Amino acid sequence: MKRKTIFLCVTLAALFCLTSLASAAEVCQGKCISYNQDDKVISVEEYNLNFTDENPYGEATGTVTSYNVASAKMGLTPEPGDILRIAYEVKGTDRVAIKVMNVSKQDLRKK
Amino acid sequence: MDWLYMYMPIAGVEIFWPGLVLIGFSVGVIGGFFGMGGAWMVTPGLNILGFPMAFAIGTDIAHIAGKSMVSTMRHSKFGNVDYKLGFVMLAGTMVGIECGAQIVMYLERIGQVGKVVRWVYVVFLALIALMVFYDYYKAEKKKKAGIVDGEKGTEGITWYKTLHKINIPPMMHFKAAGFTCSAWLPIIVSYLTGVLAGFLGIGGGLLRMPALVYLIGCPTHIAVGTDLFEVMISGLYGAFTYTLKGRIELVAVFVMLTGAAIGAQIGTVATKYARGYGIRIAFGFAVLGCMISIILKQYKVDWAATTLILGTISIISIWICVVMFKGAAAELREKKLREQAASAYKS
Amino acid sequence: MRSLISKIFCFCMMAYLVLPAMALAAGGKASELVVVADTRRITGVMKYFANLYNTNILLFAVWAVVLTAAYGCFLGLVMDFFMSRTGLDLKSRKIIEH
Repeated sequence: MKRKTIFLCVTLAALFCLTSLASAAEVCQGKCISYNQDDKVISVEEYNLNFTDENPYGEATGTVTSYNVASAKMGLTPEPGDILRIAYEVKGTDRVAIKVMNVSKQDLRKK
Repeated sequence: MDWLYMYMPIAGVEIFWPGLVLIGFSVGVIGGFFGMGGAWMVTPGLNILGFPMAFAIGTDIAHIAGKSMVSTMRHSKFGNVDYKLGFVMLAGTMVGIECGAQIVMYLERIGQVGKVVRWVYVVFLALIALMVFYDYYKAEKKKKAGIVDGEKGTEGITWYKTLHKINIPPMMHFKAAGFTCSAWLPIIVSYLTGVLAGFLGIGGGLLRMPALVYLIGCPTHIAVGTDLFEVMISGLYGAFTYTLKGRIELVAVFVMLTGAAIGAQIGTVATKYARGYGIRIAFGFAVLGCMISIILKQYKVDWAATTLILGTISIISIWICVVMFKGAAAELREKKLREQAASAYKS
Repeated sequence: MRSLISKIFCFCMMAYLVLPAMALAAGGKASELVVVADTRRITGVMKYFANLYNTNILLFAVWAVVLTAAYGCFLGLVMDFFMSRTGLDLKSRKIIEH
């Protein structure tokens, strides 16, 4: 029992140490304006958090931002007009995408 | 009615949380009472409540891992485990679960996961129901003929004697279970159960137990312990691999686990007081209800599916709860009377 | 019962042999689905885990397994504690759970 407790404590401590390695990412959701497959850049018109029946993905804010997706894990290939959700990190002036989810194409609610 | 819906941050769906609690509680009660998993109702239940199928499977398998920890903790040991057999089977189980999970991911990619898993579940539940009703029919027939169940229950099937003769090296001797066979026999058996467990998000005990007894030739008490060991490991591995694939909803796991832990107490205690076969029939009907609700979900009659599955599982859980509370009250009353009588006798 | 079990087994065998073969044979280039947790909508611990899900799925998986197992153990202990207080005789019952 004592050894088990020690083992548990060590594991938890190790986890907490690892935790600091996790980087904070931000998430953005919006409409895909363009996807340049050669330059690996996606530009997205950001949507806000006002989810309504008319706008289930939020309302358009008009802000267009671009994301570098060279190293990102991509889901279904985005096309202009698709609703995308992107987890990204800000590196300098660049927004580097980690994961890109094609919300409208893979709408999970219907599966 | 917004407060009745809880936002699941990863799956990104709004879920009717009382349904989640009810499923967790019922699976605990029913699993504890009948001693057979009960996880079969979780995947369809979660799917009907609105989780995407892959999330439903991942969440189910993770909750199994937690639940098996509860029972392991409560027995503080596995009881009679043949650890050698357990570890040999582990290889097969883990590879099997991974294969099952890969099939699910593949089906998800081609957009068929919901449909395929639902139909496999319909067949699977139909078989369970058949088994329950057949069991009842046989017991009734025996009762009429006046045969009392002997100890020889498992003597009938001796396939394992033939299977033990298969002579593919490495041959292994399992001391606790007391037989020698090719290591491939338990590996293949556990692989097959593992695939099903990983694909449907169940513990697999429903298949592993008979396989251990009839195909591998394990004594029943060793089979029970070894199965519990396998369920725990397969649950933990399944939880890990499904999380790695990003198909798990931790919040739902915790909500269900809490309900299941409470339910399991009621279920296991109720076994003490239950008499007769009536409740087995109810169980058969619950399985059928679950099956029909999956078909309803497949044809997008969501409200009927939700009502049916939540309705059936609550009726049967309430029944078991009533059995438990009545029995417990009677026992406590008797105990009190005995104590009073004893103290009266002393004075 | 015997013939029933054998039938069930035959069926399951077939299903097993067919399903993985199907998945392997088809093996098309359909792209994987990627899920991004919407961290904009949540706060606190949930936000931490959702963020972990987005950035470091391996660590998230380790957390999920450890937390589930730990919570299971905790519930086991708590339930034992409560059940021993009810005054019911729990020693004589059959152990048939999981």
